[in-house]
Amino acid sequence: MLWFEREVVGALTESPDQPLRSSVESFVDGTLRDMPEHLRAGVVGESVLLGTYVAGLRALGRMAADDPAALLDRLDAWEASRIGVVRSYVRLMRSLVVLAENELAPEGAA
Amino acid sequence: MADLVTDVLVVGSGAGGAVTAAALARAGRTVTVLEEGPWVDADAVPPFSLEEMVAKYRHKGPTAAFGNPVIAYTEGRCVGGSTEINSGLYHRLPHHLADEWRSAYAIDEFTPEALDGYADRVEGQLSVARVPGAPPPSSAALERGATKLGWRNVEFARVFAYDAQGRGTKQTMSRTMLPAALAAGATIIPDCRVLGLITRGDRVVGARCRRTHPGGGVERLNVRADHVFVCGGAVHTPALLQRSGIRRNVGNGLKMHPTIKIAARFPHPVDHDGVPMHRVTEFSPFVAIGGSASRKGYVALALADTGEPYAEAMADWENISVYYAAIRSEGSGRVLAARGLRSPVVTYSLTEGDLSRLARGLVHLGELLLAAGATELHPSVAGGTVAHRLDDLGSWWDQVTRARANLMTVHLTSSVRMGENRDRTGADSFGRVWGYSNLRVNDGSLIPDAPGVNPQAAIMAIATRNCDQFLAEA
Repeated sequence: MLWFEREVVGALTESPDQPLRSSVESFVDGTLRDMPEHLRAGVVGESVLLGTYVAGLRALGRMAADDPAALLDRLDAWEASRIGVVRSYVRLMRSLVVLAENELAPEGAA
Repeated sequence: MADLVTDVLVVGSGAGGAVTAAALARAGRTVTVLEEGPWVDADAVPPFSLEEMVAKYRHKGPTAAFGNPVIAYTEGRCVGGSTEINSGLYHRLPHHLADEWRSAYAIDEFTPEALDGYADRVEGQLSVARVPGAPPPSSAALERGATKLGWRNVEFARVFAYDAQGRGTKQTMSRTMLPAALAAGATIIPDCRVLGLITRGDRVVGARCRRTHPGGGVERLNVRADHVFVCGGAVHTPALLQRSGIRRNVGNGLKMHPTIKIAARFPHPVDHDGVPMHRVTEFSPFVAIGGSASRKGYVALALADTGEPYAEAMADWENISVYYAAIRSEGSGRVLAARGLRSPVVTYSLTEGDLSRLARGLVHLGELLLAAGATELHPSVAGGTVAHRLDDLGSWWDQVTRARANLMTVHLTSSVRMGENRDRTGADSFGRVWGYSNLRVNDGSLIPDAPGVNPQAAIMAIATRNCDQFLAEA
């Protein structure tokens, strides 16, 4: 899992519970690793491009560093992007996190 | 490198492969089944759980068909194939489709009566039954809504066996046909990927494989066979044929049932362990309405699709169930085994008519769920209106666009179509691949078009028919 993917998963995971957050990250990591290689290559490419863009924004002071809320706002904007692969990237990451977080949460957890 | 010799080699152990292995082993043939995935005990993981996804799904979850829009799809990758992970709904091939396809593709001996005879035989070996007693609330909602609107609906039978207490056990291939094949002397080798078929002239003489041992070791395995049946499903059957240099009418014409969903909130709890068995057939054959897996994670996924905050709804998740509208698509796709890639590239093109049909299906599904008593509907459309009343549904017509609809499917067919019309088919009327005397396909790839219903029953009946023809010819 690339650094930006880890950051996206961290931002999308709502629970503060650290073991659950680790489990979600581990699940997403395993799923990305097991994707068809041509899809994985595309996701890696997007992660590098989008991660570089975010890093650039932070370097220019146009986006707060270490602020998951700022990254979430950016992901929301990308999910409505006119560029299909950008929308698909956010939908993929969000789907994996939402599914894992709700399936892996201990019984009875909110 | 190990070598293995067999009379009949079956590649894949799902609905097509398992039926083939059982039929031919019972007939006294020496049968070897190679399955790429592991052998997972049928009771080892809960149905539709994340554990099941990791253990039994190809790629540990959904993958995607490229296109505009991208369509997510899932496949089983374990002994028993997709029968281990599906809902077990059982529906014979509709008669009008048998008639239509027989004519369009020039398929011999493909009458509704003949296919019903094979379906009878399949059903005699499985347990095909309706739920004893009242249907669960998620399924009853479909029946209630349809009845209120005067729409046709039906409770589908399932491949389930029920005990005296009414507890159902899905009759997957690992519980039925594969044990029957083993009892008749077949050999099943899991964790064994077929890299390519070895051809000589118009014959396939064997297969090159890579077998992974439980301890992690990997060995090359060469299998020599007199006859080969490829049953890897509509994506991996054409991919294997292409990797083996067999490309004529192989991999094009892929069909699926694109599906759009709604998470429906009711004022009462609904069940979450299974899949509703009622289907609304009012708009068949082009739009089918039914219910999906609704474990907590799937409810959350469906709620998240609109992009609206859903924490409040999620707090009430036990009152929420997920439903779908699936279409018979005019569009089609391709499977391409590109050199150097382990996984095939899959594409699918939806037509404008398909999009319109999906929008119509979504609106009808909304009408039905409101009639059934749902109080809140979350469509799988980015930025889609969360509906509370009939007036809200009108906006969905314009919201189901290529950019906003979130689509998926679990039924893929038609990538090596059968029939005597050589311009349109990759195999003859009984699955023999054109140009090869001893190579057959025997799975959902052969079905000429999307059937509009779960294809498992059709796959099993056609596979039984093709085995009969093979045995008669041999």
